[in-house]
Amino acid sequence: MAKYLAKRIAYTVLILILVSISVYLIFSVLPMDPAALTCGKTCRPDVIEANRHRLGLDIPLWQQYWNFVRGMFVGRDYGTGQAAFHCDAPAFGYSFNRHECVTTLIKEAFPVTLSLAIGAFVLWMIVGVSLGVIAARFKHRIPDRLATFFVLVGTSLPTFITGLLMLVFIVMRFGLANPLDIGKWVSPVTDPLGWMKTFIWPWMVLALAYAATYTRFTRSSVIETSSEDYIRTARSKGLSDRVVLWKHTLRAAVAPIVTMAGLDFAGLLGGAIITEQIFNLPGLGRLAIRAVLIDYDLPTIVATTLLAASFVVVMNLIVDVLYAFIDPRVRVA
Amino acid sequence: MSVTRKGRRVLAATAASALLAGSMMAATSTSVSAADKTGGTLLFVTFADQLDHMDPARVYTGRDIAFLNTYLFRNLVMYKAVPGSAGASLVPDLATNTGVPSNSAKTWKFTLRKGITWQDGSAITCADVKYGVSRVFAQDVITDGPQYAVSMLDIPKSADGTSAYKGPYKGTGQALFDKAVSCKGNTVTFKLSRSVADFNYALTYPAFAPVKKSKDTGDKYDVKPFASGPYKIASYKIGDALTLERNPKWKKSSDTVRTPYPDTVQLRFGVAQEVRDQIFLQDSIPNAINFDGGMLPTNIRKFFADDSTKKRRMNVYDPYVRYAAMNVKKVNCLEVRQAVFFAINTQALIDLSGGSVFYGDPGDNPVKPVLGVDYTKTTGNIHDSAWKITGNADKAKALIAAAKAKGGACADVAARATDADRGLVWDMAISATNQKAAVLMTNALKDAGISVKFNWIPPGQYYSTVLDSTKENDIATAGWGADWANASTVLPELFTKEGGFNLSLNWDDPAYPAFKSLMTKALNETNRAKQAAIWKQGSQYVMDQYWIIRPVFSKTQFAWGSGIGGVNYWEPQGNYLFPTMYVKQ
Amino acid sequence: MTTPFLEVRDLHVNFPTPDGMVKANQGISFTVARGETLAIVGESGSGKSVSTLAVMGLHNRKVARITGQAILNLEGGPVDVIAASESEVRKLRGKQMAMIFQDPMSSLHPYYTIGDQLSEAWRLHNHGSKRDGLKRAVEMLDIVGIPGAAKRAKDYPHQFSGGMRQRAMIAMALINNPALLIADEPTTALDVTVQSQILQLLRDLQRDFNTAIVLITHDLGVVAELSDRVNVMYAGRIVEQATIDDVFYKPMMPYTMGLLESIPRVDRGSGGRLRAIPGQPPSLIVLPKGCSFEPRCHLKHQVVDGRCQSQLPDLEEVMPGHFGRCHLSPEALTLAHVEGVR
Repeated sequence: MAKYLAKRIAYTVLILILVSISVYLIFSVLPMDPAALTCGKTCRPDVIEANRHRLGLDIPLWQQYWNFVRGMFVGRDYGTGQAAFHCDAPAFGYSFNRHECVTTLIKEAFPVTLSLAIGAFVLWMIVGVSLGVIAARFKHRIPDRLATFFVLVGTSLPTFITGLLMLVFIVMRFGLANPLDIGKWVSPVTDPLGWMKTFIWPWMVLALAYAATYTRFTRSSVIETSSEDYIRTARSKGLSDRVVLWKHTLRAAVAPIVTMAGLDFAGLLGGAIITEQIFNLPGLGRLAIRAVLIDYDLPTIVATTLLAASFVVVMNLIVDVLYAFIDPRVRVA
Repeated sequence: MSVTRKGRRVLAATAASALLAGSMMAATSTSVSAADKTGGTLLFVTFADQLDHMDPARVYTGRDIAFLNTYLFRNLVMYKAVPGSAGASLVPDLATNTGVPSNSAKTWKFTLRKGITWQDGSAITCADVKYGVSRVFAQDVITDGPQYAVSMLDIPKSADGTSAYKGPYKGTGQALFDKAVSCKGNTVTFKLSRSVADFNYALTYPAFAPVKKSKDTGDKYDVKPFASGPYKIASYKIGDALTLERNPKWKKSSDTVRTPYPDTVQLRFGVAQEVRDQIFLQDSIPNAINFDGGMLPTNIRKFFADDSTKKRRMNVYDPYVRYAAMNVKKVNCLEVRQAVFFAINTQALIDLSGGSVFYGDPGDNPVKPVLGVDYTKTTGNIHDSAWKITGNADKAKALIAAAKAKGGACADVAARATDADRGLVWDMAISATNQKAAVLMTNALKDAGISVKFNWIPPGQYYSTVLDSTKENDIATAGWGADWANASTVLPELFTKEGGFNLSLNWDDPAYPAFKSLMTKALNETNRAKQAAIWKQGSQYVMDQYWIIRPVFSKTQFAWGSGIGGVNYWEPQGNYLFPTMYVKQ
Repeated sequence: MTTPFLEVRDLHVNFPTPDGMVKANQGISFTVARGETLAIVGESGSGKSVSTLAVMGLHNRKVARITGQAILNLEGGPVDVIAASESEVRKLRGKQMAMIFQDPMSSLHPYYTIGDQLSEAWRLHNHGSKRDGLKRAVEMLDIVGIPGAAKRAKDYPHQFSGGMRQRAMIAMALINNPALLIADEPTTALDVTVQSQILQLLRDLQRDFNTAIVLITHDLGVVAELSDRVNVMYAGRIVEQATIDDVFYKPMMPYTMGLLESIPRVDRGSGGRLRAIPGQPPSLIVLPKGCSFEPRCHLKHQVVDGRCQSQLPDLEEVMPGHFGRCHLSPEALTLAHVEGVR
């Protein structure tokens, strides 16, 4: 097991290196010029060049990348004289748009995204898996048809529609939240009620989309598992339907769901872009989208991309290890 | 049609308020006692994530400057905090008077008054003023702000055209700067490279405000500036809010400009546009003020149609003239430029952007009437009998025919313009409104036989593209507002080769030399009335040459909650008269 | 003669489908006594598993239409499984009657240890702790011949070989000493050598526990090794019912003859083709009016008045204890068999 883990961790590091290099490469071939962005009226070629120098984009790409790597280990220095300052390691860089070390921005944004992800995850797993089991149990009858309808609605409505509907027609129309408090971040430790008030709406929006998928998946997994031979054996032993369902069927049906859930959760940790945007949550998704669409802020883009990638890659590893616990056939001797 | 992101402020020197259309400004607060105004929180809401800049040397939007100058930063001089044209006059703030020029306005002296302090109680000194002005020279750290210090101070240039002084962080050329800006006790002396009779108006920019060196954090000063005004920053979280609280070290006795009414001033970020509009439509938050001014088109119409909101809204002319610049280098034929002008359906364009009530009127001048003495009605262009607000295709066709008959360059341009495969190319920033406008233009010009194609540019890259003379196409939309009430900040900037915003690329036009000498004369004329006369000539000249077409005198709207009093329009800033706003107690 | 443990009388099993009613079993009757092995032989789709699943009560009651009787003659009195409620039948499953299936790999839960699964089967019908159940499980594993049973009880099904798995299944089925064991194709998925081991095991266990065994198979070789009596099924009906010797040496139905002839024989020289029965079995939805085997029968021309097509032959006792469903006379059938065998 230790050897297996060591190998997987080495792969993870390699993948992250490749991801970071790719971001730099992609950025360098983009038609957008971040140096030209910030100079509204005073935009002359020499001003743009000065800007490019300021942003650190006038040195060769490999050098930019090397500075980035070094910054991750020892931090980075910026400016001269009175204007000098330092970003502590691991330093992804400095955002000239937000005037803050990117690592600090990430540290502030992550708890928001984490809150969003955890709440939505719990909600959709409970709703999705339960509905799926009910639908499978009452296959082709009314509960199943209702669940199928729910699946259709949930999977076909994109989050930007459900999010806007939720915000404008429910929250705003019925005055369920102070419009200025939408997306206000408070720590769950100091103000749990306020924290829930902020997140309850985006949780529901996200959970709707995911729960629908999980209902469908759980339903088909349970139905499929129910037709397995070992379920027939269990019944032939004299076990009641209830015990067969809970102890035998679900145990087997849930395994692939765990994998999916882990990966979905990891994907959310990188930032739920649309939901965060609509509900004005200052999470990693908002940070990333602003950096990509508006600011062309390379250090922030690199940081959010790497972070999102590492969540997924690490979660892959965790899920694989977890799966071995669930399914003995997969265990490495 | 996009206006430059960094706006300008405008001075009204005459009773230009007669030109203000629509609902008028709210009543001033003379009848309310000070006690009934003091306290509470002024709650500004905006859909933006942050203030573009809080560093005084980098802020360049009229609104932000007005906001910051009212609460956080004190300048040597300020605009008078009163509504109407009187608000365009200068009053001393940190200085004892509005400046003493000498040496044909090439030298200016200001003396700091007593009792002026920073938020930590330390005195504001002449050295602080000097340091503040010097920062803009550090072009690799301090970006986006006005460049007047660089262009006006008497500091030599390097071979590459940039200033020989590289700012206080590097220190290169510090001695040169120290000669141009010097301190003797409490008096600061500015030495300019040429006569600038209205130099003290430039000093209303926070770029000329003092900065305390020990509190300067370079790029980070943009989010954590040190205050000299009646408020200081309690907290600033991008995407969340900027909260200002009272600055106990500010002394009322030293400040004739400001009376700080609210206990707290808050600017809330990230309020989605629809949500923001609903706040004012429903008056759900009485102490809220729309920092963005206007609203989404359907909402603004609803808001203004509702009689109950009469006391919570304004519809005024903003400082900008919006126009389409003709690239004279490429469209080097006057008749063709005229043809395009006559062909355009101006009415449709105005209606597209909200109608003349909310959007504005066709203009006849690159200078707006609010500039007072520098403006006069021109002849020709929209006053030409052949001009129709919905477009005059016949007149345009006749002009094209005349161009073709003329032969030479005119015939070439006319041929190109009428060629369906080539046609004229129009630079436009990508937006939903622009795309609709493009359709209107195409149709209107087609009626006149002129073919037009559009070069769509992502909004963030628009100005950097069209300001590049190698990249600009035949026509480019733009907007411009004077920096202060003098056409010196309009005509030379837009139409001379040295100007910072010349999209007309007109310096090779045979008509240019005459214009240039007009400009030189005006810039060096110290008699204001004489100067105004020359500006008026210059405007007429520009319009006659059709170096720009289709100017629109645009308007802007404002909305606020019922709990706010003292809301007025600050003409020179083109935004709220922040100093008079208070929360009704 | 003692009452047989299992009595199936006139069992009909129908499944409604979108294409029509599938008549899987049409009037099946048979008995099995303790200590006796009954083989049910037939092609796939002949309905051989369906009847035993009905006995176990494993059909989905909401879907399958089952009539007839399947009586277990228990010590406390007879119980008709068909008529009984689901909860009553459940008490019998795994206790009085047990079933083992074709593919032991897929028939055992992959996530639980062998010991756990066996223990579960025992604790369901007995009072005892987990430890007791495990002890009993190890006992049974030992009995079925799994070496190192105590250790192997902690293994998972995928860690067993095919033959071992089937032994484990048998252990699990017999852990509560059921009177009836139904074995549905128990050796089909196994190698030939393992096959005979398993069959030997079943024989031994039957002798030791006096179990009644119903052995379902399509493999006549398996039948020969283990059975006492045979039911030959075709198209949902029993077409021949006799002792093992009678079926093999004196088949009284052309289908049975065809089955016997299609077995590869060691004593016939190599070369020459296997004799398969031409044609396909009929659909169970649309059954012919007469004999279901008629389209494929090689002896039908011998029936004088062409009754095969129009009239369904009854299952008649053509010889003592030997039943056949054919219009031909026993003499004609004997003659045909002898000729074919030569």
